[in-house]
Amino acid sequence: MSHIHLPDGVLPFYWWAAGMAASFIITLVVLKRLKPEDVRRRIPFVGILAAFMLITMSVPLGIIPVHLSLAVLCGILAGPGLGFLAVVVVNVMLAFFGHGGITVVGINTLILGSEAVIGSYLYRILCGRIRNTAAAVLSVAASLLVSTALMVVIVGSTAGIAEALPHSGGHSEEAHMETGTETGEAPVTDESEPNVGDEAKAHIGVDSLRYLLFSGWGALFAIYIAGIAVEAAATALVVNFFLKVRPDLVMGSKGLTSSGN
Amino acid sequence: MHLAELDHMAGNGESFLHRANPLSKIFMTALIIAGIVISRDTARLSALLAIIMAMLLLSGNSMKELLHLAVYPVFFSSIFAAIQLQQSIQAALAIIIKATGASMALLLLISTTSYVDIFSFLSLFLPSILVDIFLFTYRSLFILFDKFENLMKSIKLKGGFHPLRLLFNIKNTAGMLGVLLIHCIDMSERMYRVYSLRGYNGRIPLVKNSRSLKPVDFMLTVGAIIILTGMVIPWSL
Repeated sequence: MSHIHLPDGVLPFYWWAAGMAASFIITLVVLKRLKPEDVRRRIPFVGILAAFMLITMSVPLGIIPVHLSLAVLCGILAGPGLGFLAVVVVNVMLAFFGHGGITVVGINTLILGSEAVIGSYLYRILCGRIRNTAAAVLSVAASLLVSTALMVVIVGSTAGIAEALPHSGGHSEEAHMETGTETGEAPVTDESEPNVGDEAKAHIGVDSLRYLLFSGWGALFAIYIAGIAVEAAATALVVNFFLKVRPDLVMGSKGLTSSGN
Repeated sequence: MHLAELDHMAGNGESFLHRANPLSKIFMTALIIAGIVISRDTARLSALLAIIMAMLLLSGNSMKELLHLAVYPVFFSSIFAAIQLQQSIQAALAIIIKATGASMALLLLISTTSYVDIFSFLSLFLPSILVDIFLFTYRSLFILFDKFENLMKSIKLKGGFHPLRLLFNIKNTAGMLGVLLIHCIDMSERMYRVYSLRGYNGRIPLVKNSRSLKPVDFMLTVGAIIILTGMVIPWSL
């Protein structure tokens, strides 16, 4: 659900470079910890999960202005390490198809990867204590809250918090940020300190949100709650189905030996 | 996602871009995107976008398909551009042109270069596990699309989909997704057994491109360097 659609050239260089570097380092750490002979068997499965995520992310939900990612499901089924690698592949491929810029691949990997990793670990902890379906729902909800917060912090402190709103769009009535006055130059991003214009734009962006019977902050919460609910429901239903048909595929399910990484 | 159309374009085109070495095309794409990211001048960005569109025309691929794919970056960048409109119209336009330009540059690459060549390039510096996941993901996408379409048709034919019964549809769709995943997992296990019989030991051997560089490759490389230089040097007429 938390996937940044910012195009190239919007985020300041140090942000997207740091995102690329961080996701590269995490990927290296994950690859170091994986034993090739243990994971070889699961690579086709991870490829299928990544393809499944790609298809899911391209399906609009209609009444809810966000899309599913099923990153947590990927983490639950493949484990945190392979789940993170699947997220890397998904984000690179999405960038190649024009869904989000190539420069934001690093940041998107960190955000979606956090869903897969946190969801996977939470599920392992919870499924030994409560029912597996409830564990799946709670894992999805918690990891989506974390990834959404991460997305809002990153996008809000770089491109402006109004851009972190779900397809908020709309014109801002508020003046203005510092404009570049050099001839022929049009500043695209203001890389200086955030000023009062950003906060005002954020409020105006939120105030202009409408969703069902809600408006403003209520609409914002309703959208995110609806998105989290749909993703949690979809993940729980699929995990429940797997536990009935192929419990061996669910990592760390109650009473069963988990395999893989 | 129009994956099948892009794959068809990349594998069946006969333009000079299709015949060019994948390394020179990847290098050209990287420099174009660098120029797009660095530059803030609307006039130069527009000129670069025009060059990219001209190259797409010269590639001989279906412009209708490619322009259809350009709608996504235009749409998402318009949202951000609308917010920046109060800053200046030029700033807003620059955002849209940057997004479209970067996206079209990547589409130019993937519509003229087969995925095997692109992943072969990636295998030069990425670990084999990651490259293998790329290959299996790409292959699985086509299979999943087919199976998904067939299952949707099957559900509708058997009365499992009703426009006015939301919960009924959600329950059946979730079940369908579960069945689809199970089929795919069985398929992945069969795939692994087939690959193992053929000697797969954790690394799919990709043929490294050994074609020598032709004049068109030098032309693309030099052209890309000129473009990047033109984008970053603060010259004016």
